[in-house]
Amino acid sequence: MRRLRLNPLSWPLRVKVPLSAALFTIAVAVGISNVVLDRLAATQNEHLRQLAGAYLDGLSTALQPYVLRRDTWEAFDVLDRARGRYSGLPLRHTVVVLPDGSVLAASDPTRFPIATSVADGFARRLSDATPLVIDEDRATASLIRRLRDGSADLGFIVAEVDIIKLMAERHETLLTLIAVNGLLALLLAALSYLLVRRMLAPVGLLTEHLSRAIDGPIDPIDEKQLPRANTEFGRLLRRFNQMVAAMLEREQLARRLAQEEKAALLGKLASGMAHEVNNPLGGMFNALALIRQHGGSDRIRESAIQLLERGLTGIRNIVRASLVTYKGGKESTTLSGSDIDDIRFLIQNEIERRQLRLKWLNAVGGTLSVNGEATRQITLNLLLNAATASPAGGVVEFVAKVEQGRLILVFGDDGPGMPDVYVDMLTTELDTMPPATGSLGIWTVNRLVQELRGSASVLTGAGTQITVTLPLKRDQLDTAA
Amino acid sequence: MPRDAGTRRAYRARRAVSTFSRRSLLVGAAAALIAPRYASAERPITFGLTPVFLDSDVQLLARLEEYLRRFFNRPVQLVKRRTYQEITALLVSNQLDAAWICGFPYVQFADQLSLVAVPLYRSEPFYQSYLIAHRDHPATRDEDLRGSIHAFSDPDSNSGFLVTRHWLAVQGESPQTFFRKSFFTYGHRNVVRAVSSGLAHSGSVDGYIWDVLAEIEPRLVADTRVVHRSEKLGFPPIACARSAAQSPITQNLQRALIAMPNDPLGRSVLSELRLDGFVQPNPAWFAGIADKYRFVRSVT
Repeated sequence: MRRLRLNPLSWPLRVKVPLSAALFTIAVAVGISNVVLDRLAATQNEHLRQLAGAYLDGLSTALQPYVLRRDTWEAFDVLDRARGRYSGLPLRHTVVVLPDGSVLAASDPTRFPIATSVADGFARRLSDATPLVIDEDRATASLIRRLRDGSADLGFIVAEVDIIKLMAERHETLLTLIAVNGLLALLLAALSYLLVRRMLAPVGLLTEHLSRAIDGPIDPIDEKQLPRANTEFGRLLRRFNQMVAAMLEREQLARRLAQEEKAALLGKLASGMAHEVNNPLGGMFNALALIRQHGGSDRIRESAIQLLERGLTGIRNIVRASLVTYKGGKESTTLSGSDIDDIRFLIQNEIERRQLRLKWLNAVGGTLSVNGEATRQITLNLLLNAATASPAGGVVEFVAKVEQGRLILVFGDDGPGMPDVYVDMLTTELDTMPPATGSLGIWTVNRLVQELRGSASVLTGAGTQITVTLPLKRDQLDTAA
Repeated sequence: MPRDAGTRRAYRARRAVSTFSRRSLLVGAAAALIAPRYASAERPITFGLTPVFLDSDVQLLARLEEYLRRFFNRPVQLVKRRTYQEITALLVSNQLDAAWICGFPYVQFADQLSLVAVPLYRSEPFYQSYLIAHRDHPATRDEDLRGSIHAFSDPDSNSGFLVTRHWLAVQGESPQTFFRKSFFTYGHRNVVRAVSSGLAHSGSVDGYIWDVLAEIEPRLVADTRVVHRSEKLGFPPIACARSAAQSPITQNLQRALIAMPNDPLGRSVLSELRLDGFVQPNPAWFAGIADKYRFVRSVT
């Protein structure tokens, strides 16, 4: 399994989309939860205010005459009896405070003894302007109600209500919201994951095929794996298949053209070869005539036999080179120094016909792990080009050597220089179809060089020097170094 | 003639009722010929109750009323008021046939009231006043209650006020000087509630009431304890206006009360009240209360 990288931007969509859905859900849930909890708190407070208000209203009416008379017992009796009558109001205590700040009576006299002063403590927290104060740390709501007789201030009643249950209800609601929203976020993330995974499956398929094409031939996607044609990905993958088909077709065409080029070259060489064979034939027939007429003379016979032998040796060389180069069938994965030397025989006729001089330096010894057939075709094509480009009496140079695990082939001529269009055709990466007319040889060389993962460079001006560098396969590096 | 304005008003009212009663007697006699049972027009016997009594038990009151009604064979009306003073005023003004009052009002109005019967509690017509304190109060003696908040029962209660007032007067103190604060609760049960809840640190309470509450409402009494018990004093008696002492109703009422142990319903009422019965009264049993009253009056 591939490790997830730290940068979220580089995460795959099948992770990013569910994560975004979950985060979005959580963000919405947090917002909604806040609103719900705020609303719940407001409703609870309002409910508390109303209930406590009713309690204090009832109390203040009942207490007023006793407060007026400073009747501690009756005030206490009212508080004590009222305590059990408001079951929905969990009272902690209720205190009746006189205008001088002393306690007249309290539902919890132990905590608020009568005749002690408590006004300051309550006054700090409560006033007519803030008749309800919620202290969540103490889980207490405090309420105040003034007692008046006309304009006379009789004191006030303070009730403290236990809001632990209300807070527990809020806490419970919060936990429920967290649980439900967490579950929803998880569910949405899982659904998003499945959905996105399903939606992006064609992308994965496409990526896989494209990745495979880097290391080898590109394949079309199996029809059975294609999504429906009326979907976006269905259209995309079908386009991909069409593109692959076009590429394969182009590849096939290129191969065919290369074969035709090879055949054309073969024709050209065949005529040269016929000429090469024909030349010694005249001498050989003369030698035969000499033997027939003067066969008795040892010296003449020996001379004629030597002539015949040279002629036959020349023919054998020509035939062998042709056989090696054009025998067809399975491609050779190796190249020997003599394979390169054989090419010399194939261009001999062209060199002589054009009255050129060939400077041949083959420093390759042993066997190299490189496609022999392709290398010979590159060499032959570029030598023939050099011969064609050189003026009569010119020099065609060829060097073959191994340097730093690479086979270097250098071709030189005295020609007027290579046109830029051909230089580009030879050195830039092929991404076009073969040229409509001419230069098929150069285009073929470039294609073969790229197949062998090599490179070509051109120095041109007065004369041209082409250098082709072909990497040797790994097992060759040790021996060639 | 009654000596003060309130009593004079009550006297006039009694005269009016008395006049009305004589007139209605003739009508009633005529009606009695038609209806052999007691006539609905017949005036109910009015029996006053003070908070000295365990007045919170409605069923007990109903049984007492039923007992008296059956004995008199005529309606009985139990009259309750918040304070002793109200019941005493109704009694001395002849607006009640009889009432269960405290010994203190009796000695206050001894010239206007007459004893009908006295309950027997633990086989004697006496009870005690208790000085009680909250369970957590450190007091071990009555003197330790100095500076406490004190709950009295009623200013006309012997056990709930006079006994403590007298004890303080003997020491040259008053509730205002001895206690930090004091207040009246108008009920012995309320005194126990006040001390139990912590509203008061100490209280003056009827010993009989505290003992019975300890039996029937132990949770209420649990947070209080007795710091001091007074000497035995006359149990709160049943009294009537002196003018009605010899009336048939009074006589019958005395018989009814004394006969209570002989009747199942009467026995159940006595059992509820934790009393043994009622006996003929002896004014001398209240001499102790009278002495305290006189002493207190002499120093204030």
